[in-house]
Amino acid sequence: MSRRIMIQPVTRIEGHAKISIQLNDDGDVESARFHVTEFRGFEKICEGRPFEEMPGLMSRVCGICPVSHVLASSKAGDMLLGVTIPPAAEKQRRLVNHAQLLQSHALSFFHLSAPDLLLGMDAPAASRSILGLLERDEDFVRRGIRLRQFGQRVIELTGGKRVHPGWSGPGGVHQRFTTEHRDEILSWIPEAMGSVNLALDRLKPLLDNFRDEIAHMGNFPSLFLATVNPEGGLEYYDGTIRIVDSAGNIVADGLDPTRYYTWAGEASEDWSFIKFPFYRPLGYPRGHYRGGPLARLNVARFAGTEQADRELIEFKQRSSGAVCESFHYHLARLIEMLHAVERIEQFMSDPELFEETIRARASLSRREGVGSCEAPRGTLFHRYWVDANGLMTKADLLIATGQNNQAMNMTVDQTARHFIQRIAPGTQPDEGILNRLEASIRCYDPCLSCSTHALGQMPLMVEWFSPDGTALGQIARPA
Amino acid sequence: MRTLLIACGNTLRGDDGVAAEVLRLIVPAADRELCAVQQLTPEIAEKVAGYERVIFLDADAAATQLTIKPVPASVSHSQLSHASSPAEIVALATALFAFRGEAFMCGIPARDFSAGWKLTPQAQRLAREAVEELEHRFKQ
Repeated sequence: MSRRIMIQPVTRIEGHAKISIQLNDDGDVESARFHVTEFRGFEKICEGRPFEEMPGLMSRVCGICPVSHVLASSKAGDMLLGVTIPPAAEKQRRLVNHAQLLQSHALSFFHLSAPDLLLGMDAPAASRSILGLLERDEDFVRRGIRLRQFGQRVIELTGGKRVHPGWSGPGGVHQRFTTEHRDEILSWIPEAMGSVNLALDRLKPLLDNFRDEIAHMGNFPSLFLATVNPEGGLEYYDGTIRIVDSAGNIVADGLDPTRYYTWAGEASEDWSFIKFPFYRPLGYPRGHYRGGPLARLNVARFAGTEQADRELIEFKQRSSGAVCESFHYHLARLIEMLHAVERIEQFMSDPELFEETIRARASLSRREGVGSCEAPRGTLFHRYWVDANGLMTKADLLIATGQNNQAMNMTVDQTARHFIQRIAPGTQPDEGILNRLEASIRCYDPCLSCSTHALGQMPLMVEWFSPDGTALGQIARPA
Repeated sequence: MRTLLIACGNTLRGDDGVAAEVLRLIVPAADRELCAVQQLTPEIAEKVAGYERVIFLDADAAATQLTIKPVPASVSHSQLSHASSPAEIVALATALFAFRGEAFMCGIPARDFSAGWKLTPQAQRLAREAVEELEHRFKQ
């Protein structure tokens, strides 16, 4: 009799999700899926509201990456106004985008993934957490928290608020950047740089301990999609879209992000609320792609800063083509953090950042606007339609996490098939195996629906089902 | 007693914003700081360490009545995704930033988390009750 194992929801990622594993009559894995069971619904509440309000409203889509939504929304607003924003405004937006990536990646690496990486996948669940890590290495944990705090502080100084900065809107930004801001940010740079380098020094030697996980937790050919600048370098705010295949060949280049709907399609499956984006010319599912840190490093020819370029060269030597192992999202994340700290420091000596003119003023000149940027987890697109009065009639959001939906499903399937070997009736998967399934998803650091988090909604449960849906067993972890 | 009140929740998700409503209704005082966040994240631990008392406020999907409970500085395994638990924040504040104060969790029953700004009438009533209970219990 075939059986199904459910892990729901996946812990230490955002939103409501679960993993289900279908076993065959012999107790071997037949298939595994990653389900998202939370519907976001933000597009609907935009309707009828002025487009100028969108950045503030959209920032509430997420408590971890609000800046990405503010930027994509602001850029869509820029397009509706038909303006080119002043250089100071663009520099501020770029600066804050790097800060947001830094704080988000710091949370992902130090807080969520470091316990797996530094304590081991098989460490007891009760101690395999940030607090377990605290007992082992207090300085490492403190540095991780302060690195995230640094990113938040840059956002707060520039945008006025840490979590939902409303300083950016259609036409530019609302607050000048000052020399006082610069001086405080510069005072953080040595510590931030030291913390990222410490993390890199810790992670790289450990990778040899995870050969099995690297080889079997999301190692497969796929396309990779990200924004690049005109020279083909790493880019987070503006630029064009490049797609490479697993051999590193450029499949598409110079794609216009404001016309993403012409080259990116979204397929649906009846078992997930998240859609499955794909590159239209190749169709679904063949055209699925990965986004985020791994994709950005795979598509970019160079980083554009000294230390990150050095790391990027070393990173690219891990493969003759694209780096296809999703486990290396962790390393890619650290390299991006290094790049972010370097970029933040560079901005502090850029005179344009301090200029007085920070906003272009205009009235509505188009009825449709699209904004995009590189969010921590992938490329984010906002598309708005407005009426003659500038009131929203429709919105479409292609969320960064969604870019990796197919990859996360392939990853959990590969992980389950490799690590789960025959589960006899009446037994349950080993804790270390369950953790590997979760860790395979954590590589992508998905942010599925961080809009609601109320207490009491996220116990971790593992359930067994018979083919007719009868629950055969259950594991519940303590909260 | 220097007190920090931290309201968690998304004000665009119906009753998830009930803690923010409690914060809005609370009378400001010199020894009281009010702070609203969408979710708890680790760096809040350093802020907590600057106070003698911290009170976390949150919508509670499982509760049937208002609860105010001490939060132990426990080294427990958090199940809460990107969001840290109050116990984890207190533990981090204690271990890393020398927090020696007291910590409480105020859970406000909530049911409707659909997209939108409005609280249900029940949540509005419970928000007012929470304010009264907090004022009564923590007079100083």
